[in-house]
Amino acid sequence: MILKSLRGVALLLVVLFFMFPIFWIVVMSLQTNAEILSLPPKLIFPPTLMNYTALITGHLKTSVGTLNIAFMHNLWNSFLLSALSVIVALVLGVPAAYAFARYKFRLGEDMAFTLLSLKFAPPLLVLLPLSLEFQRVGLDNTYIGLIWIYQLITLPLILWIVRGYFEDASPDIEYAYRVDGHSWLKGFLKIAIPLARPGIAAAVVLSIIPTLAIALYAQRWLVEGLSLGAVKG
Amino acid sequence: MSALIVTSLSVRYGTHHVLRDVDLDVRQNERVVLFGPSGVGKTVMLRAIAGLEPGAVGQVVLAGRDVSRDPPEARHLGMAFQNFALYPHMPARENIASPLRARKLDTAPIAAKVKSVAELLRIDHVLDHFPRQLSNGQKQRTALARALVGEPKLILFDDPLRNVDAKLRYEMRIELPRLLAKRETAAIYVTQDFREAMAIGDRVAVLIDGEIAQFALADEVYDRPATIAIARLFGDPPMNLIAAHGQARGSGTLVRAAGLVFGFDAAPPREPVFGIRPEAVMLFSEPETGRVAAQIVAVTPMNERYLVLLRTEDGTELVASHDTPPPHGSHIWIGAEPGLGALFDAATGLCVAAAPSSEEIAA
Amino acid sequence: MNDIATHPELITAKPARRRANPLPYLLSLPALIVCIGILIPFFTAVWYSLESYNMAFPTGRHFVGIGNYIDLFSSGTFWHTIVVSMVYMGASVIFELLLGLGIALLLRERSKLNNIISVALLMPLMVAPVIASLIWKLMTNPNFGVYAWIVNGLGFTNFGWASSPDTAMFTVILIDMWVNTPFIMILLLAGLRSLPTQPFEAAKLDGVPARFVFFRITLPMLMPYIITATLFRLLSAIQEFSIVYGMTQGGPGDSLMVFQIRSYIDFYQNTNVGRSSAILMVLWAITFGLSKLFVNQWHAMRERSKAGA
Repeated sequence: MILKSLRGVALLLVVLFFMFPIFWIVVMSLQTNAEILSLPPKLIFPPTLMNYTALITGHLKTSVGTLNIAFMHNLWNSFLLSALSVIVALVLGVPAAYAFARYKFRLGEDMAFTLLSLKFAPPLLVLLPLSLEFQRVGLDNTYIGLIWIYQLITLPLILWIVRGYFEDASPDIEYAYRVDGHSWLKGFLKIAIPLARPGIAAAVVLSIIPTLAIALYAQRWLVEGLSLGAVKG
Repeated sequence: MSALIVTSLSVRYGTHHVLRDVDLDVRQNERVVLFGPSGVGKTVMLRAIAGLEPGAVGQVVLAGRDVSRDPPEARHLGMAFQNFALYPHMPARENIASPLRARKLDTAPIAAKVKSVAELLRIDHVLDHFPRQLSNGQKQRTALARALVGEPKLILFDDPLRNVDAKLRYEMRIELPRLLAKRETAAIYVTQDFREAMAIGDRVAVLIDGEIAQFALADEVYDRPATIAIARLFGDPPMNLIAAHGQARGSGTLVRAAGLVFGFDAAPPREPVFGIRPEAVMLFSEPETGRVAAQIVAVTPMNERYLVLLRTEDGTELVASHDTPPPHGSHIWIGAEPGLGALFDAATGLCVAAAPSSEEIAA
Repeated sequence: MNDIATHPELITAKPARRRANPLPYLLSLPALIVCIGILIPFFTAVWYSLESYNMAFPTGRHFVGIGNYIDLFSSGTFWHTIVVSMVYMGASVIFELLLGLGIALLLRERSKLNNIISVALLMPLMVAPVIASLIWKLMTNPNFGVYAWIVNGLGFTNFGWASSPDTAMFTVILIDMWVNTPFIMILLLAGLRSLPTQPFEAAKLDGVPARFVFFRITLPMLMPYIITATLFRLLSAIQEFSIVYGMTQGGPGDSLMVFQIRSYIDFYQNTNVGRSSAILMVLWAITFGLSKLFVNQWHAMRERSKAGA
């Protein structure tokens, strides 16, 4: 009984620690500037959508004047940037992931490891020289430059996740399709890619939310496989 | 014209020779079984014929056309995989239609052909189901339908009954030869089950260690295995192999094994081994000339047959297999069915002669 | 009778030769180009680290070999950076591991409430670390922050949060815990829930005390998960940038000068490209070792899971 209530209290504290900041940000987002700045913090207040309208219109009216914010523009930019980066990474990464999964070749293993270790390497190591070089050739602050940099994050992710899915699908299914009389390319587009679609979808979502990636992806095979491995030793 | 001629086909994985200069030919409408223990390269051989082994060296001629350099899609074969290899994201109908789609046929003939092959295989009621909704038997039939629908001159079966239950296996063993005959299709059928090999194969090619050890009519492989290794593999229970004494007599050999005497038309081998199928070991309750006393060690019923483990007076153990129970009493007499038995040379591992003369048995 | 005999031309035809399949190379070519595109700046950085190179005096640029490294390891500030980074990494990972394990144990039973809570706890993981530090900055602001107000009300009137050298480390580790504990929690929870039940049932039958069950059964069986989570977190904690930069930019003073911030400041404020790159190379050597361990662990688990499945 005591144990149970202790457990309840512990859970409550945990939920409070992790959820309160998010709750509080939502609360603040519905307050006026004056309310945000007041102490003690106000829990009961007339909620206002003023901040949200300001984000959408781009003008925040305060007592001292109107503040221009480029939120929508920035949001659109980062959306465009993520989308383009992911598309580029897919076009580059999915065929390579297929090659790594289906054919055992030295270059493949080396590339897979290089990309992964670069993903774990300090980002500044690549970013600082790139920014210098980009400045030199005028690529800094351009979409192309930024998409290039983003490949550092998205490409390894897509390679490693999608590769796993290709590896899990039996090559016999593709062989059967080719024996039926279809070309390799057709088999790749009509069989291999559709079979790896869940993996591709996961990789897309996860390359937009990077940390979540490892947690959820890890969970997929950890749960599926490790338990069996543990049982069988 | 042969449906298939394979000439000196070799496949190497690193330093390991999976196939070594293999020759094989399949006549039109013929069913050839590729038999061998697991891991000897049966599947690799099928894949090489289909064009799925990029490292294969050698010549493959399909219906008079050299396809050695052609990719799999240009070989116009049918293939049934051990794991069915159905396309999980397509309904059965599209799975079956796949070879026809590859030929860019119109919708109407595709529908007609799919329907007719599905009716033949009795899966026309599940054509709209996806593979995950099909039973194992239906998956099996869908895979067969896909292999058959394009009316290829040759179909490759990679142990298709391995993953299905006993009842279905029995059914297909009877149905498959009938189907293939009806569609006028030659077939290579991979299996490691000798019953399947006997039921399906016109001829049997025994693959051991990457080489074809024997390629002959199914009955011949059964009655006269070319090597001791084949005698051990082909048959369940396998052939009794008994160390024997050989003695030249004229141009032939008089062989004594387990107290029985046989005459063979061959010079005496260095280390004679006499082989006799369990069915050819006859059991009697009365002694007579040409019979040897034996003791019943154990009786095991198996598939409506009785396996009888025997021990003769000289200590030789052998197995008899009959569809009637053995005579009562633990002491009986055994003889050999006339004309059955084979003589091997343990020194070379080869079969020297078969079909012992029956008059000699009496002697 | 034999077809080969009746078709002699079949024998004379040349057998197909074995040749290397170009397809895999073709398929990985685009990725290879990008891979090289990412490797070029890496090797550029290696080169920079061997140069005396200050953007403010581009003419003075020259090769100095390991000069930058010698300077680094003989300077107190760099040793300070190593210590600060190690403390940050060690403390945050240890606390996150303990807290994550604790929460995973609390949520171990499969129930609707537990599942809802475990999903809800993932929310901080979805917040970008820069945003996380912004949220905490607002909440610990001495003038209007709700946490500052609460702590003040509890009597700690001089609690400086990120602005005081005494509490800055505590503050950023707290934020790191807020962001990253859910990662460890979800991994360990997945591990706990997939453990076989038999050992636990046997222990229950034998009346083994709970403490014993935990240390002798649960913990050893969970070890692969713990190692994976720990390695991954060590790898990212030693490189932490966003949270610290967002909160204090390495300050106050140089109390939070972790590797990447020291390098960033050297690069942009001191325009010392050579030293900045050398710092990153030292960090890279550490992460390379850790990532090698991590990849091996990852492969071992995947192999094992494949063998099991």
